[in-house]
Amino acid sequence: MEQTATSKSTKILEEVGVQMSFMGGFFRNIFRSGFEWNELIRQCYIIGYKSFGLVAITGFILGFVMTLQSIPTMKEFGAVSFVPSMVSISVIREIGPVIISLICAGKIASSIGAELGSMKVTEQIDAMDVSGANPMQYLVVTRIIACTFMIPILCVMADALAVCGGYFGSNISSDVSATLYFNKAFHSVEFSDMVPSVIKSVFFGFAIGFVGSYKGYNSNGGTESVGVAANSAVVNASLWIILLDAVAVQLTSLFVYN
Amino acid sequence: MTNTDTEIEEKLEEEVPGNEKGAIVVHIEHLKKSFGTKEVLKDITFDLKQGENLVVLGKSGTGKSVAIKCLIGMLTQDEGVCEVFGKEVKDLKETELKELRQKIGFLFQSGALYDSMTVRDNLAFPLTRVLHMTDTAEIDKLIEEMLDNVGLKDAIDKMPSDLSGGMRKRIGLARTLIMKPKIMLYDEPTTGLDPITSKEISELMLTMQKKYKISSIIITHDIACARITSDRMVIMKEGVITAEGTFDELESSKDEFVRAFFK
Repeated sequence: MEQTATSKSTKILEEVGVQMSFMGGFFRNIFRSGFEWNELIRQCYIIGYKSFGLVAITGFILGFVMTLQSIPTMKEFGAVSFVPSMVSISVIREIGPVIISLICAGKIASSIGAELGSMKVTEQIDAMDVSGANPMQYLVVTRIIACTFMIPILCVMADALAVCGGYFGSNISSDVSATLYFNKAFHSVEFSDMVPSVIKSVFFGFAIGFVGSYKGYNSNGGTESVGVAANSAVVNASLWIILLDAVAVQLTSLFVYN
Repeated sequence: MTNTDTEIEEKLEEEVPGNEKGAIVVHIEHLKKSFGTKEVLKDITFDLKQGENLVVLGKSGTGKSVAIKCLIGMLTQDEGVCEVFGKEVKDLKETELKELRQKIGFLFQSGALYDSMTVRDNLAFPLTRVLHMTDTAEIDKLIEEMLDNVGLKDAIDKMPSDLSGGMRKRIGLARTLIMKPKIMLYDEPTTGLDPITSKEISELMLTMQKKYKISSIIITHDIACARITSDRMVIMKEGVITAEGTFDELESSKDEFVRAFFK
């Protein structure tokens, strides 16, 4: 029993060590010569542009549904006029970055995990390595940086579309002018609401890129491990997003909203 | 020889010890390697001479691939000596290992072509990333020359998914040879191919070896490939070398295990 516990904790510590070494490799390779700018742009296109449709629909429906769900309750309190503010604040501060990052974890982390996993299984990464090229710089650094840049951009765009979705939701049950709605929505939002939200989405983006790359790059075995890498990339990235969000909420409560 | 060839030669040629014919370029002595409790290499000793084709024959799972992965620094041995051009591989620093890897070509079992790139980009990858070549005209010329060598000039703009198994191996070979390596390591180059394609690949390996004066280690359990390519052979059984000699010597061996390969 005691031996099992020891071997489990040894495995956990080993895993942490490997992850730390992988992260160290990532940071070292950012500053090495021969940075892969073309591959970074290609990854930004794949991660950012190709995820925009999904993120846009999700963001729009998020605002739309939130408005429709909250109007009846707000009516009971005679506070329907606060709906635009409520939607914009909750979406920008919290729901937007978290939901969009979770959606991106499902789409992007799994795709990175599966792509690098299949490259590992088919010895493509080994082939790069033994040729004297740097697979870490070409495959990992570009994907993590692309995620770190593109996820915040996607989150901001989704926030904007969620506010638009809220406007459409308001117009289903009542007739609200666009000027009034957007005035109400943006009047209550301050710059201090945007900054923590963008900062935390940067960390979410890093987590998505890092976990996806780590799981794929370190997958072992046959084709089954590709599926395992994709699956565990989504699960771990989602978990990291929720944990980071919990920390971010505490920090913003302490330093921004106080 | 073209200007481009000369340029690459200059980049790769610098002071390679053992460049003279017959000199030992790879020296493996009492090599041992375990994975967990499983001892894969128990005691391996062999040399590879300049310009020689050494075939390592053995059943699957006897540690043939592990031995050549130690040579290129993909794995580190537990005990023993593993020297390439007189340098112990496990003692090399990262930059030294990178330099050594430029002199060694490794053809993987599957060809290991980069799926997301065309054949052209696959061949350009080591030139731009490792040799830092920038002149696209020179790069294209080298790629075309190398594809011509393997008889697949028409496949230049195809994706790996559009190629057959044999074509993938040829492109893999072209991508490795474009770096003008001094040593080639082939990991089961004919596995999964029909006998005709297998023979073509084996003959191509021999042609390329003669054309570029490469020393090769060929890991295989395909006796037809061994017959065509080998100057000398070693036979591995459960992590140790059980027999060594030329193809003809081993073919007439009285050892039952050795004879089993030639039946």
